[in-house]
Amino acid sequence: MITLAATGDTWGVPGPTFLRLYLAMAAIALVGTVLHRRRVLAGPDTAGVDQLGPQQVAYLNGGDQLAVWSALGGLRGASAVGVRPDRRLTTGGPLPAGLTPLDQAIHHAAGRQLPARELRRDEWVIRALDELRQGLEQRGLLLDADTRRSLRRGTLVLLALLVLGGLRLFAGLANDRPVGWLLLALIGVGIGCALLARVPRRTRAAEAALRGLRRSNAYLSPASAPAYATYGAAGAAMGVALYGTASLWALDPGFAEQAEIQRQALASGGGWSGSSSGSSCSSGSSCGGGSSCGGGGGGCGGGGCGG
Amino acid sequence: MTGPTGVGIGWRPEISGFVAGLPGLRFVEVVAETLAPAGPLPAGLAALRERDVTVVPHGVKLSLGGAEPVDPARVAHLAAVAELVGAPLVSEHIAFVRAGGVEAGHLLPLPRSREAVAAVVANVRRAQAELPVPLALEPIAALFDWPDDELDEADFLTEILDATGAGLLLDVANVHANARNRGGDPLALLDRLPLDRVAYVHVAGGAEHGGFYHDTHTDPVPPEVLDLVAALCARHRPPALLLERDGHYPPAPALRAELDALAAASGYPVIT
Repeated sequence: MITLAATGDTWGVPGPTFLRLYLAMAAIALVGTVLHRRRVLAGPDTAGVDQLGPQQVAYLNGGDQLAVWSALGGLRGASAVGVRPDRRLTTGGPLPAGLTPLDQAIHHAAGRQLPARELRRDEWVIRALDELRQGLEQRGLLLDADTRRSLRRGTLVLLALLVLGGLRLFAGLANDRPVGWLLLALIGVGIGCALLARVPRRTRAAEAALRGLRRSNAYLSPASAPAYATYGAAGAAMGVALYGTASLWALDPGFAEQAEIQRQALASGGGWSGSSSGSSCSSGSSCGGGSSCGGGGGGCGGGGCGG
Repeated sequence: MTGPTGVGIGWRPEISGFVAGLPGLRFVEVVAETLAPAGPLPAGLAALRERDVTVVPHGVKLSLGGAEPVDPARVAHLAAVAELVGAPLVSEHIAFVRAGGVEAGHLLPLPRSREAVAAVVANVRRAQAELPVPLALEPIAALFDWPDDELDEADFLTEILDATGAGLLLDVANVHANARNRGGDPLALLDRLPLDRVAYVHVAGGAEHGGFYHDTHTDPVPPEVLDLVAALCARHRPPALLLERDGHYPPAPALRAELDALAAASGYPVIT
């Protein structure tokens, strides 16, 4: 029996040995990835983040497009932009003081009668958005591309382990060996992989800042039907930054409709990280083996079922 | 909590961010019917309570002037809201908003008859019996006089206040509106009112339409009303004055200027 088992070991490695090694590697990869992630995602102390301007808040909360809408909301709140019957933007009224580069870029684009939905592709606007993003990256509120890549690397290691385990699982099944424990380990790695697949764009400091801002600016939420005339252009910009274009519609429905701005209300979670989920593993396919191997798991009654 | 003092403003969700930013604010009023008696308070109002700002619930639907007894459920709501905000007093109107089960949707004036006085007094006493704090009564603006008025405005109010021991919530814009629309001297009315019974004063904006002054609460406070505030304070300064604004909210600087004008007219500290 023992000799039979030894010669029948998948890949010449006994199941329990493989399982132990596999679990050790998975644990190291998981813990390493999680620790790295925790450290990188912490961001700076939240001190000073209350000085964020509406467009920075908008960028943190919803990326490029929301920053554009926030700036447009501010400019509209100051009556510095309008919309023409052909749905193109236009300028009007004197330029308010204290404009940001993004304000200026959008005002400039409005002067060239761009439609609102094309603002994001305007060269000046893109440049201003890059500037905005870099500022937030330097403050440790947004993760830059390198950091996000480094976070994905940990997930890739886990994905490699998942593939290795999957191969072993099928080999074990073909070899008619028990695979129950290996399957459990695979499910664990798969779950870890799925949880770590999403690489956030903003740090925990940014999350905390946004939460604090939503609390301190709750009066700007559409539920309060805020009096934008009273809160002024800055209030309009911050309302859009925190609560989405629903605020722009509440501020000036005629403008929002004519300029074809899509109405979107941001829930408190923010609406942005969805598009950023990591390329690596979306869990479904690789762990799908679980169901097909249900019988195999049941057949494995004894202790050492490493495939 | 102390009674309302100084210059205050009506707390509305639409301008709660503006109200929260008033550094010297000691007193706000909130429409009682907008609060849930079991709480929680709206965040903006809760923050004001933490700052120890006095919050006075202002009822609009009790219908104290109705011929039928006041609805116990509505009184219970007002009482619960008063407890919830730790109010030193609550206020309601001398008016009726429903009759025979039909809701008018707004405040309707009473004929100034002995019968009406008796009905109001009975209802105020019923309410007072259930309320944990004193009640202040606000006479309303009316565009017309009832033909069978037996009492003038001052006597009507004084009789009700004397019989119930309630405080007076005097609306200066209403005094102006009534004098402007029905003829009469607003100062003469002030002289005949029991000004020592005033718990606080309402000041609101309005506009002239079709030869009548409308107490809109959505327009700026006209200079005549501010003059009347000054005249009132010269006679007997009320403990507190409240700016009522219910819509068409102006830019913050304009709203601050109105509060400052109230402070200037009354001699109370600037709260902006």
